[in-house]
Amino acid sequence: MNPAPPVTAESIDHLCALADLPLSQARRRALAPILAELVAAANELNRTMAHARYRGIVPVVRFPERAGGAA
Amino acid sequence: MTATGLLDLTIREAGLEIERAKLSPVELTEAMLQRIARVDKTLNAYITVCSEQARAVAQAAEKMILAGYHLGPLHGIPVALKDNIYTRGIRTTAGSKILADFVPEDDATVTTRLKRAGAVIVGKTNLHEFAWGGTTDNPHYGTCRNPWNPERFPAGSSGGSGVAVAARTCLGALGTDTGGSIRLPSSVNGIVGIRPTIGRVSNHNVVPLAWTMDTVSPMTRTVEDCVLMFEVIAGYDPLDDHSAQTPLSDYRGELTRGARGLRVGLIRDYSLAHVQPAVGDTIRAALRTLESLGVEVEEIAMPSIHGNISAQLTIESCEPSTYHQEWLRTRAADYGEDVRTLLELGELYLATHYLQAQRYRNVLRKEFLRGFERVDVFVTPTLPFTATPCGATTVTIENGREENMLSAIMQFTGVPSLAGLPALSLPVGFDAEGLPVGMQVIGRPFAEATLFRLGHAYQQATDWHTRAPRL
Repeated sequence: MNPAPPVTAESIDHLCALADLPLSQARRRALAPILAELVAAANELNRTMAHARYRGIVPVVRFPERAGGAA
Repeated sequence: MTATGLLDLTIREAGLEIERAKLSPVELTEAMLQRIARVDKTLNAYITVCSEQARAVAQAAEKMILAGYHLGPLHGIPVALKDNIYTRGIRTTAGSKILADFVPEDDATVTTRLKRAGAVIVGKTNLHEFAWGGTTDNPHYGTCRNPWNPERFPAGSSGGSGVAVAARTCLGALGTDTGGSIRLPSSVNGIVGIRPTIGRVSNHNVVPLAWTMDTVSPMTRTVEDCVLMFEVIAGYDPLDDHSAQTPLSDYRGELTRGARGLRVGLIRDYSLAHVQPAVGDTIRAALRTLESLGVEVEEIAMPSIHGNISAQLTIESCEPSTYHQEWLRTRAADYGEDVRTLLELGELYLATHYLQAQRYRNVLRKEFLRGFERVDVFVTPTLPFTATPCGATTVTIENGREENMLSAIMQFTGVPSLAGLPALSLPVGFDAEGLPVGMQVIGRPFAEATLFRLGHAYQQATDWHTRAPRL
């Protein structure tokens, strides 16, 4: 796994501004190390899913309704 | 029958006695209400006890049955509902301060179906706030406790439903399961719970957690009872956009077939890897029992499985944060600290993280579907550990290393949730401290009947499900 991205209270500040989510400085500080870990894992999954063998894979937000195992 | 004898009746046993007019629904309901009054101060499984409504419904059931109108195996049976399932005229808090005074004007579809079947709702059960967490350590309604040892957690988020059933305060309950919230408390409380295929049971008027993974289903002491409740609530509902029109199976009929000939898959380097030794030993013993019943076990590789926790965390972060967006800006202080933190984090992922996680689900599902060409079900432990102390935020699984509770708890149950597959948890033994161990059985889409068949055959050959906590 690549090292965790440098998520700081300041970077959380930027993200919160984009999301229109006002958070106190104390909360931004508390979120930074947790988000760094979560984003590192999510980026790892991004890299996996970028592989050529997955190019035909679509996101699934509703599974096809077919019994017996057909995808 | 004595009040103590009533408590140990299964739904099937009580239903037969009620149908023959040998057992009064009023007497049975009263026994449950008294049991709640006696044990729930310790366990905190209920947010609301519906004593008066339950007595009135039980009396009506008794009159109907004596007049010759019997509605089926749930008629007059006391059940409980997780408090994120709408109940008309009864407050539905979702375990939150935000919905503390919410009294729905309509029922959830599953509530309607239980009422039509004549079930008696004795109460609404405690849960992790908004179902977003796995401990049922609820800051607004109190910590729910495990009946096998009240110092230990009941898991969650449907912890109250799991405890209510295990503690014999109702004969069955409904829970909701997004990433494991029925199966986890079923495992640590020593009962049966099923996560259905998405679309098999209606989510209409159930407070959502993550729309693309949410399900509702029963929690009971036996697989047979689980089937009796499942038959009532399953089936197409035009009010739920995700509802499936796939025909229902003959679930009760399937129970009579036994397990012989079924093929069980173990996922290589996963099913029995990274579990507490007692959990691994117990699952291996359960597999030997299944083999003695004529089941074949084989190992299958599933290389993509290890991305599951990140994908689950991403989806289970982004979707709840979308639902809670407005409240997070206007009532943030009304959330408990853990849920507030998770909801804030969910707003800070990128859209590409979310979509890659949804693509990963498709990869995982296709891998499972290939595996189902060789086996009928896959088996894992439901949890890699037995019940931890209440309030713990970390857990030790092996080699003395402490791990984050939320990730550890998702290790096995998140996989079928992501892949859109049904999964049953059933009790298969106890650790040295007398804490239950659960086994998860994962099936093909809409093949809940196969899970019930295997689980029932196992329970016919063992007696773990008959053991009761001492309270």
